[in-house]
Amino acid sequence: MNKEHGGDAAEWHDAAMADSLSELADPAPSEQAPADFALSILRRAGVPPRAYDVYALLDAPGGGLYVASDGTMLTCAALGIVTPGPEDFEAYYRARTGRTAVRTTIAPTGVRTALRTGRAKQLSLDLSPLSASEQAALAVVRTIPRGQMRPVSWIAREATLPDRAAVVAAVLRNPLQLIIPCHRVAYDNGRPCDTAYGPAVSDELRAAEGIEADHLDSLARQHTLYLGSDTTRIYCHPTCAHARRITTLHQVPFRSAHSARQAGYRPCKSCRPAAA
Amino acid sequence: MDEMGEMAGALPERLAADLDQGFAELVQAQATGIRTYLLRLTGATAEAEDLTQDTFLRAYVALQNYSPARRRALRPRAWLMSIATNVWRNDIRNKSRRPVSAGRVEGAGDIWPDDRPGPDERALTSADRKVLVDALVQLPERYRVAIVLRHVAGMSYAEIAEVQDCPVGTVKAQVSRGLTGLRALLIPQEQSSKEVTM
Repeated sequence: MNKEHGGDAAEWHDAAMADSLSELADPAPSEQAPADFALSILRRAGVPPRAYDVYALLDAPGGGLYVASDGTMLTCAALGIVTPGPEDFEAYYRARTGRTAVRTTIAPTGVRTALRTGRAKQLSLDLSPLSASEQAALAVVRTIPRGQMRPVSWIAREATLPDRAAVVAAVLRNPLQLIIPCHRVAYDNGRPCDTAYGPAVSDELRAAEGIEADHLDSLARQHTLYLGSDTTRIYCHPTCAHARRITTLHQVPFRSAHSARQAGYRPCKSCRPAAA
Repeated sequence: MDEMGEMAGALPERLAADLDQGFAELVQAQATGIRTYLLRLTGATAEAEDLTQDTFLRAYVALQNYSPARRRALRPRAWLMSIATNVWRNDIRNKSRRPVSAGRVEGAGDIWPDDRPGPDERALTSADRKVLVDALVQLPERYRVAIVLRHVAGMSYAEIAEVQDCPVGTVKAQVSRGLTGLRALLIPQEQSSKEVTM
C-alpha cells in the first residue's frame, strides 16, 4: 500500500468517526436529564424564585395541558395540541409574558382537581396582561358550568360589554386554555365558537364533559336556541342542567327568547337565557 | 443543536438588564448543552448533573460581580463551556483520578489494520455507541475536551480556542491527535469483536 492511499484512508476514517461522535450530541433515552433539571440548577445557585415562573405538564384531553404559575397565581395554560413539546411551551410562554417558565414535576395547587372535576372557579388566575373588556368577558366564561354551552351574546350581556366581537376576541386570546373553558362558548346560532383551539380538540374537550357534538348539531339545525318545559313554563339554554331534566314529552323548543315569552314562559334563574 | 439560535443577541442584553431573570433564561437555554458536554467528558449522568449544577452556580456568582457592560459582551455558550471545563478539571484533581496514560494512545497508531470497515458500515448501534462513549472517557483530558467540543458540541475551532484560551492551531492539533487516539482505542475492540463473531 502506498503512502498516499494510506492518507486518504485515514481521512475518511476521521470523517466517519466525526459522524459517529456527532450522534452523541443527543443523549440516549437512558441518558436523559430529569424533567426538572433546570429548576434544580436555579435552586442550587440560589436564584430568587420571583425571577422565574414554573410549569407542569398535566393529563388532559387535547394532548395534555401545560400549566404555568408564578407561585401565587396561574399565569398561562396551553394544550399539548397548541404547544406539542416542553420547548414549544417555553417559547410560547416567553413570547406571551416576557418571562421564563421552568419545568417542575409538581402541579400548582388545585389544578389537578380542577381538571378532574371541570370546576376551576376557585383557582386564582393572572389576567392582568389582558384589557379590561377581555378580562370581563373571560370572567363570565369562567362561570359557564361543566357540560354546558352559552352563546356569545349571553356572555356580552353578563359582562356588560357593548358587542359580541369583544367576546370572540377575548376567547381567541384566552391565556389559560381549558382552565377558562372557552370550549363552552357558542355563537348565537348554537354552533360552537371554536376559534381558540380548533373544532376537533374542542369536540374532544366537550365530549369529555358529556356534551355530544351530534346533539349540538341537531339543535342548531332545528334552530332550537332554547328549551322550555310545558309543566313548569320555564325556558332554558338547551344544555342547562334544568333543561336536560325535561322529559322528551314535555320539551318545547323555542327559536328565540321573544317567542318563549310570547308563549307565556319565564326565563330560568340558573342559566338566565334573558335578563330576568 | 445550537440552542442559542435567534436569542444569541438578546440574552446577554437581558442578563445586563436583570441578572436574575436573565440567568433563569440562560439556564433554560444552556442547561441541556452543558450537561451533554459534561456527560461526554465524564461518561456518567449523575456526575454530569452535579458538575452542571456547579458550573451554573459558579456562573451565577461570577455574573454578580460583572458590570452590566461585561455581561452584555458575554458569549454565553463559550463562556459556560469554559467554566464547565474548569469545573470538570478541578473535580478530577480533587478526586485525584487519572486518565489512561498518553503513552498507550500515542503508541497505538502502529496497529491500524488495512481492512477497516468503510463509513457506510459504521452506522451507530447502541452497542457501537457504548464503545464510543467508553473510548471517549479514556482519552487524555485535553484531547477529550477538544474532541467533545468540536465533534459532539459542534463548535468551531475559533470558539474552542476561546473556551480553551489557546491558539487555534493548538486546538486543531488537539482535535487531530484526539481522533488518532480515539481510533487507536476503538480499533482493537472492533477486531476482537469480529474474532468473537467469526
